Amino acid sequence: MAYIGQRMTRVEDERLVTGQGQYVSDITPSGTLHLAVVRSLHAHARITHLDLSSAQCLDGVIGVYGPDDVLPIMKPFPPGMVDARLQARMPTPLATGRVHYVGEPVAVVVALSRYIAEDAVRLVEVNYEPLPAVTDPVAGEYADPIHDGADSNLAAEIAYRVGAGADALKDADLVVQTSLRLGRVVGHPMEPRGIVAIYDSEQQNLSVYAGTQGVHGFRKSLADMLGLSESRIRVVAPDTGGGFGLKTRIYPEDVLAAYLAMRLNRPVKWQGDRYEEFISTNQERDQWHRAKIGVKRDGRIVAVVDEYYQDQGAYTPSGIIVADTTAVSIMGPYRVPNFEAVGKVVVTNKVPVGPYRGAGRPQGTFVMERLMDHAADALGMDRVQIRRINLLTPDQLPYQNGISSRGALMTLPYGEYQKTMEQVVDAIQYEQYRDTVRCEGDWRLGIGIANYLEMSGGVGFEGAKMRLLSDGRVQIATGASGQGQGHRTAIGQVAADRLGLPFEQIVVVEGDTAAIERGIGTFGSRTMIMAGNATTQAAKGFRQRLLAFAADLFEASPEDLMWQHGTISVSGVPARALSLAQIAEEALTRQQELEYEAYFDASGPAFGMGTHGVEVAVNTKTWEVKIRQYRICHDGGVIVNPLLVEGQTIGGTVQGLGTALFEALIIDPDSGQPQNASFLDYLLPGAGEMPDFMITEVEYPDPTNPEGFKGVAEGGVMPPMAAVCAAIEDALKEWHVRADVLPITPNDIFLQVTRGGAHETRSI
Amino acid sequence: MEITCEVNGQPVTVEVEPHWLLADVLRNQLGLTGLHLGCEYGVCGACTVLMDGEPVRSCLSFASQVAGHQITTVEGLAVDGKLNRVQTAFINHHALQCGFCTPGFLVTGTYLLQQGKLLNREEIREALSGNLCRCTGYQQIVDAVEEAVNQQSANAVECE
Repeated sequence: MAYIGQRMTRVEDERLVTGQGQYVSDITPSGTLHLAVVRSLHAHARITHLDLSSAQCLDGVIGVYGPDDVLPIMKPFPPGMVDARLQARMPTPLATGRVHYVGEPVAVVVALSRYIAEDAVRLVEVNYEPLPAVTDPVAGEYADPIHDGADSNLAAEIAYRVGAGADALKDADLVVQTSLRLGRVVGHPMEPRGIVAIYDSEQQNLSVYAGTQGVHGFRKSLADMLGLSESRIRVVAPDTGGGFGLKTRIYPEDVLAAYLAMRLNRPVKWQGDRYEEFISTNQERDQWHRAKIGVKRDGRIVAVVDEYYQDQGAYTPSGIIVADTTAVSIMGPYRVPNFEAVGKVVVTNKVPVGPYRGAGRPQGTFVMERLMDHAADALGMDRVQIRRINLLTPDQLPYQNGISSRGALMTLPYGEYQKTMEQVVDAIQYEQYRDTVRCEGDWRLGIGIANYLEMSGGVGFEGAKMRLLSDGRVQIATGASGQGQGHRTAIGQVAADRLGLPFEQIVVVEGDTAAIERGIGTFGSRTMIMAGNATTQAAKGFRQRLLAFAADLFEASPEDLMWQHGTISVSGVPARALSLAQIAEEALTRQQELEYEAYFDASGPAFGMGTHGVEVAVNTKTWEVKIRQYRICHDGGVIVNPLLVEGQTIGGTVQGLGTALFEALIIDPDSGQPQNASFLDYLLPGAGEMPDFMITEVEYPDPTNPEGFKGVAEGGVMPPMAAVCAAIEDALKEWHVRADVLPITPNDIFLQVTRGGAHETRSI
Repeated sequence: MEITCEVNGQPVTVEVEPHWLLADVLRNQLGLTGLHLGCEYGVCGACTVLMDGEPVRSCLSFASQVAGHQITTVEGLAVDGKLNRVQTAFINHHALQCGFCTPGFLVTGTYLLQQGKLLNREEIREALSGNLCRCTGYQQIVDAVEEAVNQQSANAVECE
């Protein structure tokens, strides 16, 4: 009986395809009051006057609250992801005196319905005295500090050096330099953020339903902000409509709703809408890089050097995880003997930056893969050939690249990187077409290849708590709550195998602080590594627990018992056997809980290498870019469920294609106002623009965990930008187009063509 | 005002304000929370329902507009507890992850199924372009709709 490795359909689905899902927005306890938020209209301003009186007079309004009305919670959020390099800038739930981005909460309304609450928001009068908005991290570093009491807008500086660092460039035969830009991406889970808070004044307990990726961390933050013991708070993440990293942290609205639910002693619900998602949920990417690569004439890398800026937005809700992960992701699957990265995290008058799928990995990959292409071009070498030369070879693995990250020296485990890349190179017929100019009517065709190294898991712990239910099923609770990944299915597969039980006998519970005491959550592609291995550990202890209990019943020694297909029997005496249901019954009569809890601790991240290859067609009249073919080969480690892995891979890749071709929140540089904060103007990839993907998998078990699992949720999003840019340049060789700024749009291509392309080689 | 319409085959009479949206009334007054609000301006398609068999955005419709009409929501797609072809195909092809947008896709897919036409992948992608999904990347959704629609059409051809 092996469930691991099978393409099992999901136990989650039947509810969800019949409309029975229960997302936060679907939960409205009787007597619920609705909260709506008054948000800053300015990127940077002083609040000179706040008048709540008109709003308070509207029929159906229960209360309107400014900062002075919620003083007990008016303190900065505890810093998320503390880091010695960072001077954290954390917001208070409502802005006091000064607003720092368009969308920052200024006041809140609680009313009988959301309709009334929104009407009342319009009646709150706020007077602003606008201040100059800092919208550029490079100039912003030396601009007047946007935060009262801060010395400067530089929140952190990140520095890594391997070997001789930038000094090694002098040993190169050729140094190529390029400026790269990644736009500000809004993650957009289809379900906007929301919360329902219910206070039981008799028991003095608070229950909240929140679409969060980590119920335990959410509870801790809520407890800190409310001054309430964690033991009095239960956090449940019900069905959650996508997270992608954006729902890892607590937000101002969560604290405001919970506080007001306690104060008003009524359930309070805040359900954000799409516009609020655009102006209040963490955003990402948004970096400026000046990168150099030094190479020998034969293509070998001598050194890679990168200076970059993270446009951090107004606060640091998740510390510097995005900017830091960028630096450690740059070297990727290549042998880079000398490396230096210096990153500056600068606060600006924009929505804060926090992890969005990849959290720096896509940025690092974009830098390295673009450098490889430009170095190859400058050397007159083929772009795949330079990768062949520099990819780590099996005899060099495991390989320590000299960077310490996630508490461990980065150690790349065994893999056959060249073979992985060649699978894609062959599948997309790269060699056949690489030297030809291909036209189809007005369309020019081009191919791009990009590699990546996916770093997953590697921090903290996660648990699995097994409990025998009265009907003989085994319940597994974990703190790693899902937002669509299919945990209940995948963890169930692991548990069924390790317990030797039919899959149907397993039930997985996630996203509830009442179900398991400790947990961290779902992010960084960690759940199968962490909760998966915790499940394996728990299965061992749980079996022993049940065998010991059965041994008492049988008056036998546990060593003389057999565990087979959910039945425990005395060896050699098949008549003396009890099913798990019968054991549960016995446990009930003896008032014993049969449960076992195990926690798996990470010893360092897992790494998997992969390659994407894309063929694009570019229209030479409109400069529209179409994706014609897309090939992927990736290393999933030991794959639990190929169906789910393909879903993660394709889903991530399409988000990467969005970053490559469509998505960027455009902020007016003078005013700091977002210019395209709606789905009408901010384009997400749709079914019509996206191709069919051909995926092959390699499985190199990861040595950092007993099951050999690797995370697979972020590999997809890492290389599409570089691959697409390479393909566009290939298609438009004749015009010398350079695709180093994301998203690369028809307008950008047109402007480059009209200016005669990027002719300078930029070698120094 | 009071309106009477048919929702998932059942006659319904409900008291609404003239400015209430159909999506809100279905969700809040009738408890049909399957449809979701992803943008509230008609782009994402998560709120799609059928009105007299045609897909409409319930976030762009007033409840008062549906008086006398037939509405089908995701809750009404399965008949006697049996999933329709599109629902079954969505499960088999892993065409949903978080499931938030799924009701809109299922309603659109069911509409395509009811048209009884053979569709190629490009036509299906075009037909689904009014629904946004952030998790799946669409490929498995197209697989599911392709299977459901073309299986149905193949059966219809056999019957003729």
